[in-house]
Amino acid sequence: MTFLFLLIPPFAAALLAGLVRPYRSWVGRANALLSLVPLGASLAFISRAVSGAPAPTFGPNELLRADSLSALILACVTGVAALALFLGPNLNVSAESAEQVRRYQIFVNLFIAAMLLAVSANNVGIMWVAMEATTIFSALVIPLTLTKASVEASWKYILIGSTGIALAFAGTVLAYFDFVNLVGPIENALNWPALMTNASALHPEIIRLAFIFLLVGYGTKAGLAPMHTWLPDAHAEAPAPLSALMSGVLLAVAIYAILRWKAVVDAVVGPTFTNQLLIILGLFSITIAAFSLVIQRNYKRMLAYSSIEHTGLICLGLGMGPMGIFAALLLLISHCTAKSMLFLLAGNILHRYNSTKIGQVSGLLKAMPWTGGLFTVGLLALIGLPPFGMFVAELALFRAGFAQSNPWLMAATILLLTVAFVSLLRHLNKILYGPIPEGVGAGENFGWRTALLFINVAVLTTLGLTLPAPLVTLLNQIIGIIVK
Amino acid sequence: MANYLLGIGQGLLALVLAPGLVGIVRWIKARLQNRRGAPPWQPYLDLGKLFAKDVVISNHASWLFRLTPYLVFSSTLAVACLVPSVFVLLPFDGIGDLLTVVYLLLLGTFFLALAGLDPGTAFGGMGSSREMTIAAIAEPTIALAIFGLAVRAGSTNLGHIVAQTLANPGLAVSPGHLLAFAALFIVTMAETGRLPIDNPATHLELTMIHEAMILEYSGRYLALIEWASGLKLFIFFSLLANLFAPWGLATVLTPMALLTAGFVFLGKLALLALVVAVIETRVAKLRLFRVPELLSVSFVLALLSVISSFLLR
Amino acid sequence: MYNSLFSQLSILGASLALLSGILLLWRRNLSSYVDAFQWQSVVLSGLFVIVGYFDHNPELYLVTVIFIALKVFLIPRALRRMQTRFAVERERDPYLNVPSLLIVSGMLVILAYAVMRPVVAISSLPTRGGLPLALGLVFIGLLVILTRKKAFTQVVGFLILENGITLLALLGTYGIPLIVELGVFLDALMGFLVMQIFIYHLHGTFESIDVDHLNQLRH
Repeated sequence: MTFLFLLIPPFAAALLAGLVRPYRSWVGRANALLSLVPLGASLAFISRAVSGAPAPTFGPNELLRADSLSALILACVTGVAALALFLGPNLNVSAESAEQVRRYQIFVNLFIAAMLLAVSANNVGIMWVAMEATTIFSALVIPLTLTKASVEASWKYILIGSTGIALAFAGTVLAYFDFVNLVGPIENALNWPALMTNASALHPEIIRLAFIFLLVGYGTKAGLAPMHTWLPDAHAEAPAPLSALMSGVLLAVAIYAILRWKAVVDAVVGPTFTNQLLIILGLFSITIAAFSLVIQRNYKRMLAYSSIEHTGLICLGLGMGPMGIFAALLLLISHCTAKSMLFLLAGNILHRYNSTKIGQVSGLLKAMPWTGGLFTVGLLALIGLPPFGMFVAELALFRAGFAQSNPWLMAATILLLTVAFVSLLRHLNKILYGPIPEGVGAGENFGWRTALLFINVAVLTTLGLTLPAPLVTLLNQIIGIIVK
Repeated sequence: MANYLLGIGQGLLALVLAPGLVGIVRWIKARLQNRRGAPPWQPYLDLGKLFAKDVVISNHASWLFRLTPYLVFSSTLAVACLVPSVFVLLPFDGIGDLLTVVYLLLLGTFFLALAGLDPGTAFGGMGSSREMTIAAIAEPTIALAIFGLAVRAGSTNLGHIVAQTLANPGLAVSPGHLLAFAALFIVTMAETGRLPIDNPATHLELTMIHEAMILEYSGRYLALIEWASGLKLFIFFSLLANLFAPWGLATVLTPMALLTAGFVFLGKLALLALVVAVIETRVAKLRLFRVPELLSVSFVLALLSVISSFLLR
Repeated sequence: MYNSLFSQLSILGASLALLSGILLLWRRNLSSYVDAFQWQSVVLSGLFVIVGYFDHNPELYLVTVIFIALKVFLIPRALRRMQTRFAVERERDPYLNVPSLLIVSGMLVILAYAVMRPVVAISSLPTRGGLPLALGLVFIGLLVILTRKKAFTQVVGFLILENGITLLALLGTYGIPLIVELGVFLDALMGFLVMQIFIYHLHGTFESIDVDHLNQLRH
């Protein structure tokens, strides 16, 4: 039942935006309010999971299911979605941009609905279909204004993204092939619980091969190097709220898919195989991202590369056993919170300064004190300074690494993180201080929009100071699901 | 004893029929192009005329120039004795091998190319370099294509390959065979100098390949080389006909079997001649730098044939 | 081993599908690409019918109908319309020349055979012989996407990749559950439509659909 509250509002919002022509501001307000309903539903799922109740299911063949892992990711998705819809360009609209905003509203809502479906689907195939749908819907919003850069970014995104997803499908087919070979085409053959229970009987070589395809495929969506080439372009050229959604939660959804499959594969061949692959790709991503951050000249691309870096960190954590998974999940939550805030603020900066180049943005603290302040907080949180959640998460990651006797790996990671740390601080310095450029107004009102972003700050600070007990329970449950 | 005589007889049969084959292809092409065309036995008359004429050799030519026609002719004749046309399980079993066939053909091509360079004319060198470009891809393809068949037969002996296909008719439509046929067909067009790779009737420098190499030859040398290229056409047609559709080949040495085999073989040759003539009439000549692309396609087809035969045993 | 009629037909079909994929590496003419894709889809629908018949699975007939409607009619027609609209005739020279590309594709098919060895070994279906060919088709689709300079050809390469995966599913598992299959078709259709929209955008902003021009975004 709660599932209906989860999935119907985004569809309804999209429908509303589609039906009302020409676009009116009240549609945007209605959509924003509608987005609170899935948020409530996901929080309900979390409380059910934490209380220890069995995972609720819905639909024929148990089509939808929300266990602890799904509940956590659902909360992230719905939280960022609500934020994006409240702070998007949809609430006060002028006549010229009405059509653009209308298109934006329709597809962003469909995008959110697809993400929610992907995370709550119990069926491997439906999850895949929903992931492909997320690529399609998000791609349609990137070229909102048709410039050369945005068209190029959207083309690369749809081509690389769709190819990656197609390869993930090949992996899904291989796993299904093995399953069907063994058990026959039973009813719920493609459901996660069925896969998990029959895992011990599956063939190791086939599952290994399938996982390689799946990692490459879903890794493309997550932004793992070397399949990351679309990410800086797409995240930088997309409108700010969409970037927040893509960087914050689409990466999380892709990692969710990898995590689910990791659970299945580990049950067949033991964790070493997936751990090695995840560590290699994770380290590679961090390396590429850290060094790319040094030469960045565009602050949105800077944030995008930071996303690649964090995806790499998360995958690194996933490859380091239960402690590592704990750290990775914490990283996921912190990253999602911080990055969404940063991208939304970046939208504000773009609006005021009319440029995405770091060189042309200076004096942010003077021109937009609230935005500048929050941006600083977000960036400091991102690079892992206390008292924010990322610090705790990274600490947990290093603890896991040393516990696994991987000192060289951890040393390399610390080095790379330092490189990223220094680069980001340097860029931040350039943005915050200095004279305000010509033609840029100074001063900013403290509106409810800015106030909303304090929620993110609050979440980050809470995570940094203490780990609330329900969260720890939830995370431990998730680890229990993955490491059988 | 009779086996050996039959083997040599097969070679002589090829010798006799080859110019006729060239003539038939030419005649069909002419008819398709709405011309009367020379009669199909015109090549015999041409050969006769050429043998009667004097030989004129450039001052710059060496012993290679004089040796090549005999070498090309004898190597091609040797191959004709090895390729089963009427009778299978030839006595030259020990040497009637795929690799022998390929190397003998390559020997002829190699010396012809050298002979094109020998008199030091521009046309000759140009023809030789073009011919080598084609041969570089075509020769491995022949080997691969027949090898694809050999994998199934368990031996590279041509007679054994034919016997294997006779024993399992279903093999004839297996992907390995079909791919090998396609590859070998394209190579036939390339090696015998047919359109779309080379125009056998042209004497324009822009389009000559084979003709350019033999431009300096005259008299009996030219006769031998023309006969050899006719033999080459015959050989390739026999390979195409008998490796892939071997029904009708005589497996026993009775006169009845040999006679039916003879007729069936003539029928297959006529069919192939028709197909080649139709293709030649329909397609335009490929630009020279496109020819390696077409030949690479045939190479990949041969490669796929080997893979599918090997891995689908 | 592969002697039944079913086996032979499925391997024959898979080979034809692979060959039409190789056509994309050889020809330069964009309309021949669309033709190759169309013929490949026809062969695949034939295979759907054959598997449906031999496996006594009427669901596959429904899937065949949708497949034909989508990939033999709708998508090729949209592709041809796009081609006339942008008046593109030929692909420019790819990053690697044609003979090398063809040899690389041969190597990729060998690689596909090597990769699929364990899969073919454990399967007992008569169609398992065609599985490496399906994976080979997937690799060739990837090769086309990576080495081509016109966005149009990249789209056709992507469609071929999808056909390869469909073939893999068909030969390995006699098709996937109907609801997932329908979802896949829907995704394929929408993905294609979005790509089409983007090619129009590309043409509008860059005045050409040459992917070489997409060099605005660096680092």
